[in-house]
Amino acid sequence: MKLLTHNLLSSHVRGVGPRGFPLRLQATEVRINPVEFNPEFVARMIPKVEWAALLEAADTVRTLPHARARPEWGGGRGRSHRRPGSLARVGMPRGDLGLCPQLHLVEVPKEPIEGYEHDEKFLRKMHHVLLEVDVLEGTLQCPESGRLFPISRGIPNMLLSDEETET
Amino acid sequence: MQSKEHSQPSLFQRIRQPHLDGTTQPFTGGRSRPGEWPRPSGRRRGLWERSSPPRRLTGNVVQFPPTWLRPAQWKELGLQALPPGLMVVEEIISSEDEKMLLEGINWTEDTGNQNVQKSLKHRRVKHFGYEFHYENNNVDRGKPLPGGLPDICDGILEKWLKKGYIKHKPDQLTVNQYEPGHGIPAHIDTHSAFEDEIVSLSLGSEVVMDFKHPDGITVPVMLPRRSLLVMTGESRYLWTHGITPRKFDTVQASTGHKSGIITSDVGDLTLSKRGIRTSFTFRKVRQTPCNCSYPLVCDSQMKATPPSFPESEREASQLEQEYVHRVYEEIAGHFSSTRHTPWPHVVEFLKALPRGSLVADVGCGNGKYLGINKELYMIGCDRSPSLVDICRERHFQAFICDALAVPIRGGACDACVSVAVIHHFATAERRVAALQELVRLLRPGGKALVYVWAMEQEYNKKKSKYLRENRMSQGKEEEVSSDTPGPELLVEQVPDTGHKEPACRMPSISDFQEGGRNSREVTNSKLPVHTNRTSFHSQDVLVPWHLKGNPGKDKPAEPFGPGGSHDPSAVFHRFYHVFREGELEAACQTLSDVRVLRSYYDQGNWCVILEKV
Repeated sequence: MKLLTHNLLSSHVRGVGPRGFPLRLQATEVRINPVEFNPEFVARMIPKVEWAALLEAADTVRTLPHARARPEWGGGRGRSHRRPGSLARVGMPRGDLGLCPQLHLVEVPKEPIEGYEHDEKFLRKMHHVLLEVDVLEGTLQCPESGRLFPISRGIPNMLLSDEETET
Repeated sequence: MQSKEHSQPSLFQRIRQPHLDGTTQPFTGGRSRPGEWPRPSGRRRGLWERSSPPRRLTGNVVQFPPTWLRPAQWKELGLQALPPGLMVVEEIISSEDEKMLLEGINWTEDTGNQNVQKSLKHRRVKHFGYEFHYENNNVDRGKPLPGGLPDICDGILEKWLKKGYIKHKPDQLTVNQYEPGHGIPAHIDTHSAFEDEIVSLSLGSEVVMDFKHPDGITVPVMLPRRSLLVMTGESRYLWTHGITPRKFDTVQASTGHKSGIITSDVGDLTLSKRGIRTSFTFRKVRQTPCNCSYPLVCDSQMKATPPSFPESEREASQLEQEYVHRVYEEIAGHFSSTRHTPWPHVVEFLKALPRGSLVADVGCGNGKYLGINKELYMIGCDRSPSLVDICRERHFQAFICDALAVPIRGGACDACVSVAVIHHFATAERRVAALQELVRLLRPGGKALVYVWAMEQEYNKKKSKYLRENRMSQGKEEEVSSDTPGPELLVEQVPDTGHKEPACRMPSISDFQEGGRNSREVTNSKLPVHTNRTSFHSQDVLVPWHLKGNPGKDKPAEPFGPGGSHDPSAVFHRFYHVFREGELEAACQTLSDVRVLRSYYDQGNWCVILEKV
């Protein structure tokens, strides 16, 4: 689950409404997935982002002490991690707070700067945060009801039980 | 609530159990007893319920019904538990007994048609006591196989009965031999065929078996060599079990070949090469219909009440659970392999969207449309965890949810697509609600494209591809033959000649205008089963899906090739409400904040493009 996707997700537990956003992210396994940089594309995404939610999510991914980040295996677009052998032990990450050095989650600016459309440095930062950080394992929590939704193998399971959806 | 769990750190530790030859070996797992577990009643409960704390029975034996938490909380606390009713007993037989059992199987085919060894594509099988028929996944209880269970099993079964590993003496045995690379698709052993207790002895090699709950939770369990897997209760009746066809398993590095759940802790995983594994699965044949507490997955109880037109939200939801969600989970691999050609008009819609649009594909299936236009940010969602898995394998953004409650913030999407989804909802209200959800996701000015299956399969005197014989149509709903697909036919847009003469006579009134249900066409409330490749005679139908293998061919998209418990022609029924001309458009008109931009017919489908105002 990319952080841009997280930015769109909202809890749909009955009765929660708009108070279900944003979902509180807790990541236990994160991977950095190189994605081709398309400045125009990123520039078009910026106005759609709920900024406070993005800041919060990036923060939790960066600072969670037991978060583990794995560099991309074998180059390319993340396809290689499924090959046999790629599930061998991951070396313990080095660096600050146990984060792998490749997880260079830069500081996300507090808000989009003026003229961001042409600011390549800014766009590259945002590209990295929005599109290259992939949460593989963790949970999403509804801020209103506390309901937890698991993320497994990068897939959030947002299914509610019958009681939770019944009026 | 959570502090209680933390105060019981020993909850999931191994316990020691004296085994048959007197030495002590560890085994894991908690056995559930009827009455101890919260039973799911008619309504579907939350997956995990609280249960009682562990009890010390004798010095060495602790019985611990695992505490069931919500899957997310369970994950959060880092605890893992076997499916309820599941137990793995390690080293239950000696190496000598293992050798004896393996050597005692005569694989050569008897001419007298007794204990016939059927050579399924992927694994060798032999039956004793009663033959198991794969055509209907059941036994013929009127024709027991002569000879009963092999003599060499008697002593072993007596021991297990005495030790309490099994409660009943089985009368049916199926021996399966798996070479590396063989597997068996996920399935539940037919309720009406066998009693509660099903035990399986693993010989020759260990293997990882996957248990899956209908909510999508998958638990991989290591079955060591010479261990006995005991499935009772929920693990027997509700969870599916299967073995992925592959040559290596991912196993716990630290504990080696010990039984138990394989965690997702990447740091402690390693690969284990499979050997030839032979399983001896002992079961007791039922003589009366099954009356378990899991009616929705029970063939006895479902047969007693054939599916009928739902009279309430609850019934609609149950019908969809049984005849849509469960089926897609079972057929996901095969289904995905028949869904590889995107429909041109959907592609057209996606390619025409402005660059940088945020697009939701609700009911994305195998992600067919998620990669069409690289200039869009597309996220897919589907009710079927297996289909979402396939999207994820293709590196798309996807999540699991119900189309009636899409967890995307309102107004966030520039566009939505929903292709061949809404026709699976069992009531008009639910279909409208699904449309409403799509519209909620859109920003003002955003567009949605909706495709549903049409009742009129012949339009403008032209038959849809679905009706035309023998060729695989573009993603049309069913594949009776799974021969290698022929060249893809492009959609031929039917020019509007002005005078329409649809093959089906139809009243011009839809549900919505009449304000009621459309059960008028159905004389009794039972749902008819549709014959594939023919015209529809009723709007609410069950459409068969034949899960057939492709002999001699192993498509990568179809991991569970021929063979396995769905061999050779398991049939699944999917519920559809096929739409009449104008019905979809009328449904959209009932929504307050939409405008229908375009309404058309495309190869057996009714389609609309909506705009949110």
